Amino acid sequence: MLKPIFLVEDNPKDLELTLIALERSQLANEVIVLRDGAEALDCLFRRGNYANWQDGNPAVILLDLKLPKVDGLEVLKAIRETPELRSIPIVMLTSSKEEPDLMRAYELGVNAYVVKPVEFKDFVSAITELGIFWAVVNEPPPGSTRYRAIGQPHRHERLRTGRNDE
Amino acid sequence: MSDDQTAVMSAAEAWCAQEPIRVPGSVQPHGFLLVIDDTELRIRQLSQSVQTWLGHAAEALLGTPLVALLGSDTPLAARLTGDYGEPHHLGVITLRHADGTLRPFEWVVHRQAQLLVLEFEPADGSSEQAFSGMYPLVRTFVNRIHEAVDVQTMCALAVSEVKRITGYGRVVAYRFDADGHGHVIAEEVDDGYDRYLGLHFPASDIPAQARALYVLNRIRVIQDADYTPSPLLPPVNPENGAPLDLSLAMLRSVSPVHLQYMKNMGTQASMSVSIVIDNALWGLISCHDHAPSPVRFHTRTACELLGNILSLQIEAKEAHEVATHMLSLRQQVVHMLSAMADRDSVHEGLLAMPGVLLGFARASGAAIVTASGIERVGVVPPLHSVAQLVAWLAANHAAEVFTSDCISRDLPHIDGLAEFAGGVLAVSISELHPHYLIWLRPETVRTVSWAGEPVKVQAESDGQLRLNPRASFASWQQTLRGFCIPWLPAEIDGALELRGAVLGIVLRKAEELAQLADELKKSNRELESFSYSVSHDLRAPLRHIASYAELLVDTEQQALTERGQHFLDNISESARFAGQLVDNLLTFSQMGRSEIRPTRVDVGELIATIQREMLPDYADRQIEWQIHPMPSVWADNTFLHLALRNLIANAIKYTRLREVAQIEIGAQQEGDEDVISIRDNGVGFDPQYASKLYGVFQRLHRMEEFEGTGIGLANVRRIVERHHGRTWAEGQPGAGATFHIALPRRITNNTKNNR
Repeated sequence: MLKPIFLVEDNPKDLELTLIALERSQLANEVIVLRDGAEALDCLFRRGNYANWQDGNPAVILLDLKLPKVDGLEVLKAIRETPELRSIPIVMLTSSKEEPDLMRAYELGVNAYVVKPVEFKDFVSAITELGIFWAVVNEPPPGSTRYRAIGQPHRHERLRTGRNDE
Repeated sequence: MSDDQTAVMSAAEAWCAQEPIRVPGSVQPHGFLLVIDDTELRIRQLSQSVQTWLGHAAEALLGTPLVALLGSDTPLAARLTGDYGEPHHLGVITLRHADGTLRPFEWVVHRQAQLLVLEFEPADGSSEQAFSGMYPLVRTFVNRIHEAVDVQTMCALAVSEVKRITGYGRVVAYRFDADGHGHVIAEEVDDGYDRYLGLHFPASDIPAQARALYVLNRIRVIQDADYTPSPLLPPVNPENGAPLDLSLAMLRSVSPVHLQYMKNMGTQASMSVSIVIDNALWGLISCHDHAPSPVRFHTRTACELLGNILSLQIEAKEAHEVATHMLSLRQQVVHMLSAMADRDSVHEGLLAMPGVLLGFARASGAAIVTASGIERVGVVPPLHSVAQLVAWLAANHAAEVFTSDCISRDLPHIDGLAEFAGGVLAVSISELHPHYLIWLRPETVRTVSWAGEPVKVQAESDGQLRLNPRASFASWQQTLRGFCIPWLPAEIDGALELRGAVLGIVLRKAEELAQLADELKKSNRELESFSYSVSHDLRAPLRHIASYAELLVDTEQQALTERGQHFLDNISESARFAGQLVDNLLTFSQMGRSEIRPTRVDVGELIATIQREMLPDYADRQIEWQIHPMPSVWADNTFLHLALRNLIANAIKYTRLREVAQIEIGAQQEGDEDVISIRDNGVGFDPQYASKLYGVFQRLHRMEEFEGTGIGLANVRRIVERHHGRTWAEGQPGAGATFHIALPRRITNNTKNNR
């Protein structure tokens, strides 16, 4: 019944590594992978390929800062400006804490950010901490649809497949 | 002069200022004065001396038309047609004496509102003859004065000429200095007269209002100091009750104090001819005689003319000298300017030609105060004295130029300055900063010979303050110490021109800098976007390499050979190191960009924090820490933390091979800086590489000995330099190292401009 985690990431290697980290962190949430900002917004606003998307809002969105088409900041801004989406926790993923856009992300109301560490072990522990905090510990925002738990080992295979009926 | 004397002097001068020298109400009796109205030409006021010269009682003539006094042959109305704003000589007039005889008189007229003031003096001989004698005199004098090499020679010529045509026993020329003291620069005397050449007459000898009168009326004659003043009748204007202004009258009666002064000097007759330049009293030709000496009208006129010619010639000569001096100063300004322009630096340009810089202002020392600090040339006081002078100028003197010809009098509070110089000339060379060009002139001890002690003695009689002119004219020596040769107006103007030139250079440099700053901003923006892409694009593949290598070890450990395992370890380590390098570089570039936000930082506390933070790195080591008392400094807390952390981390790292590591951190105040030193007993370094230590990517050890990216000390230096401080280090191989950072005790606020 847990809500899913949205992961918005364009780099296939980062995507794979993040999914492994999420897997290793033993989170029970389903992970929905979206490959750029435009797709993320389509999904959240139920439009384009996601017009029939039936699932509720995610427990947390892990949002890469630098994305093709529509970048992370624009996605963040659109979410914060939409009353039904505004309360979704958003965690920025970034390559470096030196990025000037981080300041902007805070201004736009990001909840946290993770610098993707060089050490994979560190990354796993960072993701675990965040996942536990946002996906499990937090009370779901009011009006969210409950989501059922699924123990799929390769949840990321749900790429662009719409609702999983298993 | 003592304070008491000064007080007496100013009281005396105040008294003099009240003397009615322009309206004495009487005339000298060697002629007579008539005041007539300009419509009916009737006598409205006259001097009692008319009786002496015309035999009529003054009372009897009041109200009489002037024409009644005339000899029959004189057409009066036709001769009184001018404006007469200035005294005008109307030639010779024949007046009828009470005894019926006709008497010739020289007469001079000047107008005061509706009144004409007529002055009569007996004429001797024909005036035509007198004036025809004046032309050759003037021609000869003009020719000779034209050839005179200097002002002194000119005055000597004038003195000699005046003496020849007047026959006075002593004729001197005075020149007044800036303080109004008269200096006798030319003299001719007959036997039996005291010589005054070279002596000084104090300013108080001629009160201010008398000076003003000398400018207005260029000649004054006292034929006999024992004369009895002839009062005016009625004493005041019958119409409006005003006393008659005799400023322009030749016959004006002089102050009794002056007559006393003449007698004290042994002078019975005197004449003064003004030398006026630029409407100011430059000097006087002063004539004295032991006996009463009538000076006839035409002689006086000749002397007045001679005085005018002399004034014009001196003015021309001085203007020429100033122009010549100015020209030479300008040439020197141009020299200095081109040197500054060549080097594109004010202080370097000026330092390149110390001779010109000093000679320009006839100075013995100079200081150039710019953003590069204080540069000194020639004989100059210690740095702190100059700094004190600069601080004083900045705080107290807003004008472009400051001069003093007596430092001990004007700037006694500046330590050590008066010991090195007598006077100072300073011009500011920045609108914003306390930057100056300063010249110092040596003290010149001067001996001034006064004609008598320069004090008028005040005496009190009948309850009134009276002024007794000084009685002694015996030469009296005064030694003036602490003064330099006065700064000439041309020199001050020259310094101001140099200032203008310097400001021009500074301005041009500022424009260039502004342009440079624009370009820098642009390239900084490019650098930032470069940093951004480095951080994002370079870090990502490094992260991938490290992460996949780690995953490979995790998942395929059993399948790997030992060698394969070793290779994978190397891959991970290299990727990790490259990542660290990128991070450090980013920190380094960020350090140059971000703003310094200084606060008071307790260094002792900061060090304790760093020790706690780093505890995991040295928990298993034996380190003897020795932390001395630390100051509070004015610095950016975050940056200083980073710098000290770097230095302490180094000390921990490079003592790793010691069984017992010793790390000593001390601080001391040196001049305007707090110096913090971190000493360790580690591996040290070869001093010949000391200068390389702080460069980016400079490493003095092999990677397998001591790990590191080679950016840490570069960061330290960058941080300290952003605080306008300094860094340096000492060390010996195997004998430990000491790293020092010096932070200024007061940091300026323009850190933004110093990126």
